[in-house]
Amino acid sequence: MSEAAIATITPTPAVAARSFEAAKDKVSVRDLRFYYGDTLALKGITLALETRKVTAFIGPSGCGKSTLLRVLNRMYDLYPNQRAEGEVMLDGENILSPRQDLNLLRARVGMVFQKPTPFPMSIFDNIAFGIQLYERLPRSEIADRVEAALTRAALWSEVKDKLRASGLSLSGGQQQRLCIARTIAARPEVVLFDEPCSALDPISTSKIEELIDELKSDYTIAIVTHNMQQAARVSDYTAFMYLGELVEFGETAKMFMAPADKRTQDYITGRFG
Amino acid sequence: MTEAALPSIRETSVTDAGRLRALKRFAAGDALFRGATLTAAIAVLVLLGGVIVSLAVGSVPALKAFGFDFLTTQKWNPVTEKFGAIAPIYGTLVTSLIAMLIGVPVSIGIAIFLTELCPYWLRRPIGIAIELLAGIPSIIYGIWGLFVFAPFLQATLQPWLIEAFADVPVLNVLFAGPPYGIGVLTAGLILAIMVLPFITAVTRDVFLTVPPVLKEAAYGMGCTTWEVIRKVVLPYTRVGVVGGVMLGLGRALGETMAVTFVIGNAHRISSSILAPGTTISATIANEFNEAVGDIYTSSLIALGLILFVITFIVLAISRLMLMRLERKQGK
Repeated sequence: MSEAAIATITPTPAVAARSFEAAKDKVSVRDLRFYYGDTLALKGITLALETRKVTAFIGPSGCGKSTLLRVLNRMYDLYPNQRAEGEVMLDGENILSPRQDLNLLRARVGMVFQKPTPFPMSIFDNIAFGIQLYERLPRSEIADRVEAALTRAALWSEVKDKLRASGLSLSGGQQQRLCIARTIAARPEVVLFDEPCSALDPISTSKIEELIDELKSDYTIAIVTHNMQQAARVSDYTAFMYLGELVEFGETAKMFMAPADKRTQDYITGRFG
Repeated sequence: MTEAALPSIRETSVTDAGRLRALKRFAAGDALFRGATLTAAIAVLVLLGGVIVSLAVGSVPALKAFGFDFLTTQKWNPVTEKFGAIAPIYGTLVTSLIAMLIGVPVSIGIAIFLTELCPYWLRRPIGIAIELLAGIPSIIYGIWGLFVFAPFLQATLQPWLIEAFADVPVLNVLFAGPPYGIGVLTAGLILAIMVLPFITAVTRDVFLTVPPVLKEAAYGMGCTTWEVIRKVVLPYTRVGVVGGVMLGLGRALGETMAVTFVIGNAHRISSSILAPGTTISATIANEFNEAVGDIYTSSLIALGLILFVITFIVLAISRLMLMRLERKQGK
């Protein structure tokens, strides 16, 4: 808290550096510590998500990668005894500040969860819901936006004849693409994927991976995955985390070809984890 | 594993016989258990049927004597043995309606507060308090209603209602007359308090069944708490919520003791809800002891039958409502 305050007061150099950063990095995390009660789950993470790139987070279970993701849209705020310290800048503004409007933040930073989470309403309304939260649009325009979002999520051809059916009637893979369509229909700037394929079959998985690759032309993407091949396939940058620390962070190709840290090498070659 | 398996292969015939015997023993147990549970299930049907039959048989003399008039006349005169059920039917429906109008929104509000908004340290105390409220015997509500609540209403709410709506058409008829304290409104308010813990407990429990990740997904799109409840929690749980409301309504329709204490037990329909009235269950409880003569007794049993039918209709309507909701949902 106090560090953040000082940082904003400190004159020119830091500010200048940040505005330069903002152009390249959508999100920059500095010295982030996260607590579940008294347990320190993130031990000072510093990294940046580059604008319109895919950053993958890998690491064994419990290493803090999902926790980090949930800090980026402050989802942890829903629960008591969870708190974050440090600095997370989104376009140069610290989202950890208590003044941050959470609804606005979550509209800008969308999230797709491990399990598909269609809302208990029709397919059409699942998408229209997110649009109507922030925009008052005529019915026809909403229909256009719904179609665009579903097309973008490669689901339109499969559901166009049953838009009135319940979102729950779709298969798991379709539900997950519905959730992605819903997320992008609200026009966020950053999309967080929390193990989006871990509950899906291989064909649905490859569809979603293609989709992620396609989406990065418009969105800054962060993805948590347990699947190393998936990280290698979809991401531009990879962060390897272990026991709440960021062990290694760099370009995906480099990291998988020549990891700098012994632990990274052991993990990606399957020696532990 | 292999060492244990080897001897049994040699003694195949012996083990098979043993297994068969064991299986037969299980089969007998299974059949017994199946029979026991089946009997229990059928017992419910038999009991229900028995209640319906004895109510129907018991009410035959009254229905024969008065015919359809029994349902439409207000007269309730044990001396001349002229009976009509419309006043208690009206009282039952109106007190329950008042109870639901007040109890349902308050209960759902409490449940929403407890599951979504309440600070964690306060959740348990409030939750326990509500469960305790459900445990209070209805006779206590009756005594409290008669000696504390009714005089309080007589001094405060009722004069205010009469004065405030004196010039408003319709409402001035609804809230007319002297403030008796006891009456239809008081009974409705007591019922609202009595159904509140039931509806709250059920709706809170069904709200808690909403998967956290679904709520997170909604919050994750920038929904406010209100939008999450309105668009995700309530649609997801509506079957359970309707169930809770019906449970409360069932209780309100049948509640006897507390209502008997505060409703005034007057066999008439008044346009004002401040006036005394009666309900089906209050009439039966009050008069069954003193009922002499076949027609009088039979009329009271016929009232019971009507209450049974009303409850049945309410249940049927709630089922229909749920079915229509689901069809609208596109399932």
